[in-house]
Amino acid sequence: MSLMRTFRDFDWLLWGATSLICALGVLQIYSATRDSIWRNLWTKQILCIAAGAVLAWVLSRLDYHTLLGQVPVLYVGMVALLVATFVFGAAFFGSRRWIPLFGGFHLQISEFAKLVLVLLMARYLSSIRNDRLEARDLLRLTVLFAIPMGLVMKQPDLTTSLTYLPILGIGIYLVGLRWQYWAAIVALCAVLLPLGWFLYLKDYQKARLTSFMDPERDPRGSGYQVIQSKIAVGSGGLWGKGVTKGEQTKLRFLPVPHTDFILAAFAEEHGFVGVLLILGLYLLLLLGIVQNAQGAADKAGMYICMGISMTLLFQILVNVGMVIGRMPVGGIPLPLMSYGGSSILSTFLMLGVVNNVRLRRV
Amino acid sequence: MSTHPSAYFDGGCLPEPPAHKDAARRLRNLARLGFFWAVVILGKLVHLQIVSHEEFVRLAASQQQRTVEIAAPRGMIFDREGQPLAMSLPVKSVLVNPLLVRDVSVVVEFLSRILELDAAQLRKNLEAAIASKSGFLWVKRRVSPEQAARLESLKLAGVEFRDETSRRYPKGALAAHVLGSVDHEEKGNAGIELGLQEELEGIPGSLRLMTDVARRGYESRIETPALPGKNITLTIDERIQYVAEKALHNAVADCACKSGSVVVMNPRNGDILAMASFPSFDPNEPVKDGEDLSARLNLAIAAPFEPGSVFKVITLSAALETTPLRPDSLINCYGGKFSLFGRSIGEAKGGFGVIPMRAVLAKSSNIGAVQIGLAVGVKSLYDFIVRFGFGRKTGIPLPSESPGKVHPPREWTKTSMGSVAMGHEVTTTTLQLAQAAAIVANNGVLVRPRLVLFKQRPGEPIEHEPVAPGVRVLRAETAALMRSMLEDVILPGGTGTKARLSGYSAGGKTGSAQIYDFKLNQYTHKYNASFMGLAPLSNPALVVVVTLNGSPKYGGEVAAPVFREIAQAALRILEVPKDRPETMLLAQEASKQEQAESTAKTSDSRPSEAGGEAALIEGPSSLAGAGLVVTVGGVRAPNFLGKNLRTVLSESAAAGLVVEARGQGLAKFQRPAPGSILQPGERIYVQLAQ
Repeated sequence: MSLMRTFRDFDWLLWGATSLICALGVLQIYSATRDSIWRNLWTKQILCIAAGAVLAWVLSRLDYHTLLGQVPVLYVGMVALLVATFVFGAAFFGSRRWIPLFGGFHLQISEFAKLVLVLLMARYLSSIRNDRLEARDLLRLTVLFAIPMGLVMKQPDLTTSLTYLPILGIGIYLVGLRWQYWAAIVALCAVLLPLGWFLYLKDYQKARLTSFMDPERDPRGSGYQVIQSKIAVGSGGLWGKGVTKGEQTKLRFLPVPHTDFILAAFAEEHGFVGVLLILGLYLLLLLGIVQNAQGAADKAGMYICMGISMTLLFQILVNVGMVIGRMPVGGIPLPLMSYGGSSILSTFLMLGVVNNVRLRRV
Repeated sequence: MSTHPSAYFDGGCLPEPPAHKDAARRLRNLARLGFFWAVVILGKLVHLQIVSHEEFVRLAASQQQRTVEIAAPRGMIFDREGQPLAMSLPVKSVLVNPLLVRDVSVVVEFLSRILELDAAQLRKNLEAAIASKSGFLWVKRRVSPEQAARLESLKLAGVEFRDETSRRYPKGALAAHVLGSVDHEEKGNAGIELGLQEELEGIPGSLRLMTDVARRGYESRIETPALPGKNITLTIDERIQYVAEKALHNAVADCACKSGSVVVMNPRNGDILAMASFPSFDPNEPVKDGEDLSARLNLAIAAPFEPGSVFKVITLSAALETTPLRPDSLINCYGGKFSLFGRSIGEAKGGFGVIPMRAVLAKSSNIGAVQIGLAVGVKSLYDFIVRFGFGRKTGIPLPSESPGKVHPPREWTKTSMGSVAMGHEVTTTTLQLAQAAAIVANNGVLVRPRLVLFKQRPGEPIEHEPVAPGVRVLRAETAALMRSMLEDVILPGGTGTKARLSGYSAGGKTGSAQIYDFKLNQYTHKYNASFMGLAPLSNPALVVVVTLNGSPKYGGEVAAPVFREIAQAALRILEVPKDRPETMLLAQEASKQEQAESTAKTSDSRPSEAGGEAALIEGPSSLAGAGLVVTVGGVRAPNFLGKNLRTVLSESAAAGLVVEARGQGLAKFQRPAPGSILQPGERIYVQLAQ
């Protein structure tokens, strides 16, 4: 391949937006953890980004069809690792999500499961001949998704498991479903959601899910994070307080300002303008992915790109919604920005696959 | 791009057609959904960061910041020479944050042992505070540095320290009544501490403290610096104060009196050089339960009493001003028996015949004073009493000053003149008597007593306390005549011989007012014994008034010696030049006596209506006899030119003059010029140069 081609195949929009988001993320991690025990995390984050970039490059070399061919292996491996998480898993914050690796690194398998499920969805739906999803296929797909979702929920990590749903949802939506099935799904949800609410969810989860609507009811408990996050965002104002000047972060009112609430910390220091910039970058990133979906050589490529864009969009929406008090608080990181090796690596892997699809466009 | 063949297409699958129209429509729907969400998020962001921004800034500040008060140091109090009389020292106070206490027993054990507190009581208080979830409990305020150090080294959870200051009076009970005292919050509750509380206190500053989520201080910013209280320099001279207190103390003890008070004043400018009251107290000691608070009462200003015979000075001054009576005018004292509208008036001892007015004063004849009072008349006498400053506060910045009581003429009965002329039916304070005496000393000009020399807030310019403009009450001649009559009082034959000074001329008036027992409704045989004196006569540098309450003896017996002791020492301290040879004291007395006798002889031949001028010139003033010049109308400015600063200051101090000297070296210029007559209280500016 010529250098010229490489230059043109490089997705400037996608990677430009990605690297800017990552850079702002590192800056914010630095700023938010400067005076804390986590003050070295920004260097670790840079390492993860570098590793992610290498992985993305490697993955873009491989043909995504090869990946699609390995889906059964990947799927079984993923389920096995999720099961292994229960056995070897390291528990933090009362949840067993991580498999310890060498050198103090921990891998969160549930993050990588997203890519596997995207590939699974793409392979399954692209193999359907008549462009119509039959009940049998729908059921099979649902079961295939339900297994990892159930495992992740058991960790317990409800929110991460929910990030798998948009992958399934976008697939079904794009392939086309008879309205009767839609009606059935809606009916099923209408039954299952209340059932899940009353039978499955624990009280603290319920409190979390509803507290964003009225955080003042329990300002020191379930409402605390929402209140502090809103104060951080609101006190940032139009232009923000400046890098390292965020008092909500510095004085430790804002919980985990370098992971889940990084956008709140960012909003405090960079204001409305800064948040608009970040959201604009995410918009560009998503548009880049969608553009690749439209230009994909085949249906499988299109499903892959759309699956990835949907799971990213879902995470972004939930995280941003949480930070500004429009969504329940869930342990969901902001892709590319929040500190977290697994999240960074899995996002880069997904972007690598997107680039892979681009390289094989018509 | 679509024209370009895909060179990398090496997958096994056949190329499929691109997503069809249906998919494009679905993507658009999806985009709409995304757009909807974006609007929701943006709307919320605008709401949070722009619309409600201020509200969230306030919320952030309310949880991140605390405003802490910075204590402003209380001003110091100095005497006129700069000796500290009151100061605030930094100390620590111990308090407990009950919410942080882990082990109540341990805390109670250590606190009670180190701070010597009752353990059971402390435990009760602490448990009550814990129960009420209060975050704050004073354990002990102003602990000793050793106790604070021991407690701090223990690092007990919940035990906190607060920096405070403790008011100290380094001279103990000295000038206690003037200084007053402070309460446990270091606010004045008596004396100058209360009178000038607002200026002494200063204004606390505020500190903005950033606290983190665990309420730990993170960083602080001074919002408004603390404004320290003003330092107050009093007119009190610590040395004279000491002398006055000691003399008063001894006198009260010696005469078995109940209490007493003394005021020493510079008649030129009203500066109060000493103000003493007995019994006294140590202001370092806070008020105890059941303490007899009467010891804390400043009797010099707060305890009006009937002045008795010292008041005859006012009656006679009024007579000199308003009637043709002169010091040598003869007054009929009716041999000691006189009846005024049926009320009999007697003398303290014996009786007098027809004697000159100066003898009425010297021998303190009651009947004579009443005769003179009748000559003056009710209206005029009342006028003069008021003009002398009685019946109203002098205005010194001490709380609890009493105005005394002077009845207006319409409340006088027919026989009131028989009382008022000799100092009854009126009440005055020792300070008011000093103010009255100062009028005579200051050539007839009333100068308001002054207790504060200047105030100065650290880092700011000095605020001089202005000398109120004098008010002329008596003509200068009257004042001079009165001074000469006052000298007769202390010379042989007078009632106040025990007031004589060595080396200085002096004058004064004794007083012994019987104390009226309101329970028994009659006068007792106890007296308010007083002496009102001034020295030296020609140019008085001092007025001293001594009052002893509940004395079994007369003022001439007990109060006059106190005057002598204080005046003698104060004149020496102020380096007032002697105007009498000490060795010639006896000879001088002899000549005086002679003169007095000759005056008595000649007085018959001279009409009592003699004009004031004539009387002044012809009058056998003892001052003239002593070769002194009475400067009528005021003091002449001394010549300071060519003298160094030290000499200028000592000479001016001795003469009771206020000098403002600038520069270094020798005096090159002075204003007013040497020899010119000074207005009462006028300053002399002296410019020095090398």
